[in-house]
Amino acid sequence: MLRLPAIERANWRDRAKEFGFNFHTMYGKPYWDESAYYQFTLEQIERQIEAPTEELHQMCLQVVDKVVASDYWLTKFQIPEAFWSAIAESWHTQTPSLYSRFDFAMHGDQPIKFYENNADTPTSLYETGFWQWLWLEDMVDGNKISKQADQFNSLQEKLVNRFSEIADFYQPDSFHFACCKDTDEDRGTVQYLQDCAAAAGLQDRFCFIEDIGLGETDHFTDMQDKPIELMFKLYPWEFMLREEFGEAILTSPTQWIEPLWKSILSNKALLPLLWQMFPNHPNLLPAYFEEDLAKADETKLVKKPIFSREGANVSILNKGKTEESIDGPYGEEGFIYQAYYPLPKFADNYTLIGAWLVNDQAAGISIREDKHLITQDMSRYLPHIIL
Amino acid sequence: MTNPTDKKPQKRSRSIDLGKMRKHWAMKPVSLGVASVFLTACGDSREDAIVFTSLNDCINQLPGQEQKCEVAYEQALEEAARTAPKYNDRNQCEYDFGSGQCVVYRNNDGNNWFMPLMAGYIIRDLLSPSYYPQPLFTSSSRYSRYRYRWVGASGYDYGDIRYHSFKVRKDYKKPPEVTRTIKRGGFGSSVRAKSSWGSSKKSWGG
Repeated sequence: MLRLPAIERANWRDRAKEFGFNFHTMYGKPYWDESAYYQFTLEQIERQIEAPTEELHQMCLQVVDKVVASDYWLTKFQIPEAFWSAIAESWHTQTPSLYSRFDFAMHGDQPIKFYENNADTPTSLYETGFWQWLWLEDMVDGNKISKQADQFNSLQEKLVNRFSEIADFYQPDSFHFACCKDTDEDRGTVQYLQDCAAAAGLQDRFCFIEDIGLGETDHFTDMQDKPIELMFKLYPWEFMLREEFGEAILTSPTQWIEPLWKSILSNKALLPLLWQMFPNHPNLLPAYFEEDLAKADETKLVKKPIFSREGANVSILNKGKTEESIDGPYGEEGFIYQAYYPLPKFADNYTLIGAWLVNDQAAGISIREDKHLITQDMSRYLPHIIL
Repeated sequence: MTNPTDKKPQKRSRSIDLGKMRKHWAMKPVSLGVASVFLTACGDSREDAIVFTSLNDCINQLPGQEQKCEVAYEQALEEAARTAPKYNDRNQCEYDFGSGQCVVYRNNDGNNWFMPLMAGYIIRDLLSPSYYPQPLFTSSSRYSRYRYRWVGASGYDYGDIRYHSFKVRKDYKKPPEVTRTIKRGGFGSSVRAKSSWGSSKKSWGG
């Protein structure tokens, strides 16, 4: 794994405009950064990233199987009781999942370490599946990168194929997509998924989360009062279950992507339970629930809220004292603790690898850099190649 | 599109149609041909269907139609025996349909199977001489996606078992085109509550 400087494409901002990449710069700061790229060998990609990603996913599915069958674990995972049987049902009827992103730290040829599973609402999808793919095409066409170069990134191809399978499962007339208002990034991510669904022959429609209605047939409805048969929501289940329309989900015929059972995997309680079920697995970091902290012999721990997004409310503890922390609105549902394992440093940057899955297949990686040890939502995105 | 010249497996998407990914283009003309075909197909594509939960239910609701009800009921029972999902053992059947919801079905060669009870039957196009009844099933199992739903033998979900009358399309697949929205704005409150944190919050994903 190398970090190599690169000359930016002279026209990349025009390219971004042409292809509707509207969030490459946010709040005056660069988000997309092609002044450098990372280079991997095929062996690093396949043995160190691809294989463990698929194996960890299977381990996560075993966690779901255990949690849905247990009142104890459902309580531990802070799942409201009203939804227990609906979540079990969504699991036992094998309602299809679309995608996930695992966050990893990779130090040389050490086994990569699993930080967490973004199983419900992962973002940086467009940048990965399309935009960095286009970057490599342009760089190769401009003779700036070897024609032998490849990229670990079959994300778009796999998303289109997965949408076809989801269409076979639900046979919907139309497929709705939703995200919150006032965020270019989320709207861009959802538009990309709509494009992939359209490429699979589906009739895509859009509705903001805040505009969703409840119809008299119990279907959720869009702004045209059309019943929503199937909806992709870039909005976390842990929010939805606690909001006014939450209980209507139980009686509504509207179907959801991600399915309800994904709420178990997007939950940080996953981490200590994985460690209990698969102790000393080479890709896992020791992790503990609050009441098991006495068992932890690590001097440094990372404290994470059971529900949180993009680094918010994460802190690093040294012998119980806070060394570094990020503010935020999360944590009322409790915390878990994970052994401290710092990100590798390249030049002046801490580098996080996101490994993507479409359903259960590893589908590519994304790379984020941050000046801080705790990666947040303003970290920069860098492309990569395999050579 | 460039391909590696050696035989290594390619790890990236083979090709992406850039034309389809482009967002800035001249306005495309609306295809009137397509729109009018769509409208034609929409007309006259719906009909009434009523669910009866028993022979008496039918007789009570359709006075003077006893004979039609009896014939329809018998036909639905036959159709249920022919088309209902069959299981090797009662537990598997009850896993899908709920406890007490399954009966023994003995086929011609004497083998025993288990199948769900017919919970009702649907008659569409009642006034037509060619009406034909279809058996409906329902599930009380928490593991079934058909819990408290009317479901046909093919797995088609007709809707909530509290409702006995449906406007259905002739192909029996689709929900109504539009419905009446009772309320909006029941999702999104968590975002309002949490967005006071940091003006830099740009995504509710992660």
